[in-house]
Formats: sequence, structure tokens, C-alpha cells
Amino acid sequence: MIPFELAEPTSLAAAVKLLDPDDATIRPIAGGTALMLMMKAGVFRPEKLISLRKIESKYSGISAGADGLRIGAMTTLSALEQSADVRKNAPVITRTLLTLSNVRVRNVATVGGALAHGDPHMDLPPVLMALGATLTVIGPKGERKLAVEDLFAGYYETVLEKNELIAEVHVPAQGTKKASYFKVTTGSADDWPALGVAAVIEGDGKAIKSARIVASAATDKATRLKSAEAVLNGKTVDDKLLKQAGEAALQDCEFIADVRGSVPYKRELMKVYLGRAIREALGGGTH
Amino acid sequence: MTAARTITFKLNGAPVTADVKPHHNLVELLQTHFGLTGARESCGQGLCGCCTVVVNGKAVSGCLYLALFVDGAEVTTVESLDTRDKLSPVQEAFIEASAFQCGYCTPGFIMMVTQLLDQHPDPSDDQIKHYLTGNLCRCATYPEVMDAVKLAARKRKAGATA
Repeated sequence: MIPFELAEPTSLAAAVKLLDPDDATIRPIAGGTALMLMMKAGVFRPEKLISLRKIESKYSGISAGADGLRIGAMTTLSALEQSADVRKNAPVITRTLLTLSNVRVRNVATVGGALAHGDPHMDLPPVLMALGATLTVIGPKGERKLAVEDLFAGYYETVLEKNELIAEVHVPAQGTKKASYFKVTTGSADDWPALGVAAVIEGDGKAIKSARIVASAATDKATRLKSAEAVLNGKTVDDKLLKQAGEAALQDCEFIADVRGSVPYKRELMKVYLGRAIREALGGGTH
Repeated sequence: MTAARTITFKLNGAPVTADVKPHHNLVELLQTHFGLTGARESCGQGLCGCCTVVVNGKAVSGCLYLALFVDGAEVTTVESLDTRDKLSPVQEAFIEASAFQCGYCTPGFIMMVTQLLDQHPDPSDDQIKHYLTGNLCRCATYPEVMDAVKLAARKRKAGATA
């Protein structure tokens, strides 16, 4: 890797101050598992990294209350995987983590990093988006709230300013909603997906009151499938309805071709797996 | 511009210091400063497990871990497992089950299996596969590795009650 400097501030506020909104060569690093790959490949060449690993410990913990889960941005993915609060309040997150990379990466990678990286292939963003999660973002002027749904601007792009950092993720209480996530891989089960589909459904038996469905990996960014949701909301699920919803989903997506599949292939995956995600959510346990 | 920084940490139980540059990773640190070659970089992407090192009780991919991040930490490598004349139960089990051919991936497997058995002393097949999904053996000794894990679990249990 090319040489760079590393600063290790001991507070989030100090980290924000070290970042520069106009200097893209100064970037934050959390766990670093994704950034290390990019630096090794030479596609990310920072002059200075601001490590977030020594900021206040309150940013790496999970708490549960009546309003849902609060997850510090520096929480590791393995802490998320092993959290009893997460398993109780949003078990779809626990299930998703089982095939998210491997134990070693989960021990180091963080929740905030998985979001801020803006990589459309990651598993957590679509799941958090479907669950209606929101972020607390800290910048020089203080904090603001941002829905995960509004975080992604494009391929590896977010709406965050270069001197803004994610502090916390809030997953609202899910009540009786049911959820599923399908990670469709064309290699091994823990490979990067060709398509991810997350579905969170409020319903009764096969009747859907409201659905939040998100696609990722096949698309340029994690994308809410509003056209498919409109087809499903207020209807009772059958094969014909799911086919219609799968066709509608295609209108919501900007598909991208990569080594895991061509655009036509990913479109077919979307049509098939949208229905499977709905059926899995309806037939599976609660969220 | 990128001056080395002196870090202090515990390496296999002993306090050590090293001068580290920010862009060096943990495998480079272990190999060049301490002559420990058990953790080796193979895929360089965190997929293969050959660079497995335990930091503060958790397995990490040494090739994706900045060396500076171990400042103040406890670092354990495969070299810590055996004494001069006795291998660890996991190491013994890998030999007895013939769970390697060329041996390049073995230190990583040994470290991950040791972690697995610390957390799940009597693991199911699913737990073993889940835990070792990020360890690749190009000689494809996976069936033998499954046997070795179960043998190691029995050995550790027998050792604990002996």
C-alpha cells in the first residue's frame, strides 16, 4: 500500500474537526476491512486517515427500548450478530449476519462503516433500509437525522459531507411486522451477492397491509422498490400478484453488470427473488 | 511525511515494542519485526484465513488490519499454541486426522478452530462450517478438517477432565 498518515482522535467531535469538507485525501477509517482492500488495489489513495477506533466507547454499543434498537456506529458486526437485543427486536439482522463475509471480517468491520462506504453489494444497508432505520449524523454544525433510505446517492456514493460522520443507527420497533432478506450469490454462500432483496411486511396471513422492499447488489445503490410495494399493498399474495410485483420492481432499479451477472440475468433474479422474499417474510417467523 | 510510530503491545504474552509505519499491516509487522511467519498473506482480501491472528481475544485477518491498531492490545499467533515438546490438542488433531496436504493454510485453520472450540466446546457441523467459511484449503482437505475439529473437541474435553 502507498504510505499515508494516521490520526487517532479520542472523541467523535475531534474526528469531525480533523476532516476537511474540501479535501478528499483525508478520510475516516473505522474497522478498515473495506478500505484496506481499496488501498491495496490502489483505487483509494488517502494522504491521511482519521481513525475512529479510539473515540468514545458510547459509539460502540447496542441498547433496546420501547422505540426500538440504538446501535452505535462503531459497533462491530460480530457484536451485532451476537446481541440478544438484536435477535429479539430485529432477528432478520441476526440472520443476515450469518452469511455476511466471515467471522474475522465481522470481528473488525463496523455498522457505521458498512453504511458510510456506500458499497451497493453490502448486506446490511438494504436490511436496515427495509426496517426503516434512521441515522444520527454528526458534523461541524452539530447533529442531524437521516433515514438510511436517503443515505445513498449512487455507486459508492452517499449524501454525507466529507466532514460528517455517522454516530448512531436507530432501528424502530417492528411490532408485528415480518421480515426476510435474500442474499443471492452466484459463488459461495458468503460471497458478494449478485442480488440482495430485503422485505419487511405488515400483514395478516397472506394479506399485505404495507410492505417495504429494498434491492441491492444488482443495482447501483440500495434501492427501495416503491413500484413493487404499490402493487402489493392492500392485496392478498398469490403467484399472479408476485409476478406483477416482480415486473414492477424492474422499473425502480438501475441495474449494473459485474462478474456476478449480466444486467438481463440480474433482472431475471429480481423477478424471481422478489416473490421469494415476500413469501419468506409472510411464512417465516416475526421480523 | 509518514514517520514510524513506536507502539507497545503484548505478543504471545510478552510485552514488546515496535516502530511501525501507518500503512503497514499486522502480518508485515509480525513477519519483519518478530520473525513470526505462521500468519502469512495469501489472498490479501480477508477471504482465505491464512493470515489469522487473534487480537484481544478475537480472530482478525492480519492482512486487513493496520499494524498501528494493535497498540496496547494483546496479540496471539499460532506460534503461542505449542510448547517445546507438546503440541496443542487442535494441532495434534490436525496431524492425526491428516487435515492438511501442503500445509500453507494450516496455521490459519488451527487458529480459527482454537477460537471456535473456545466458544463452542462441542460444535455442531453447522457451527463448524459457519465458523470456517472464511478459511480456504486449496488441497481441499475439508472433510478431514471436519474430522479434526471433532477430534480436537474430544481431546480438549479429555484434557480438561484429566
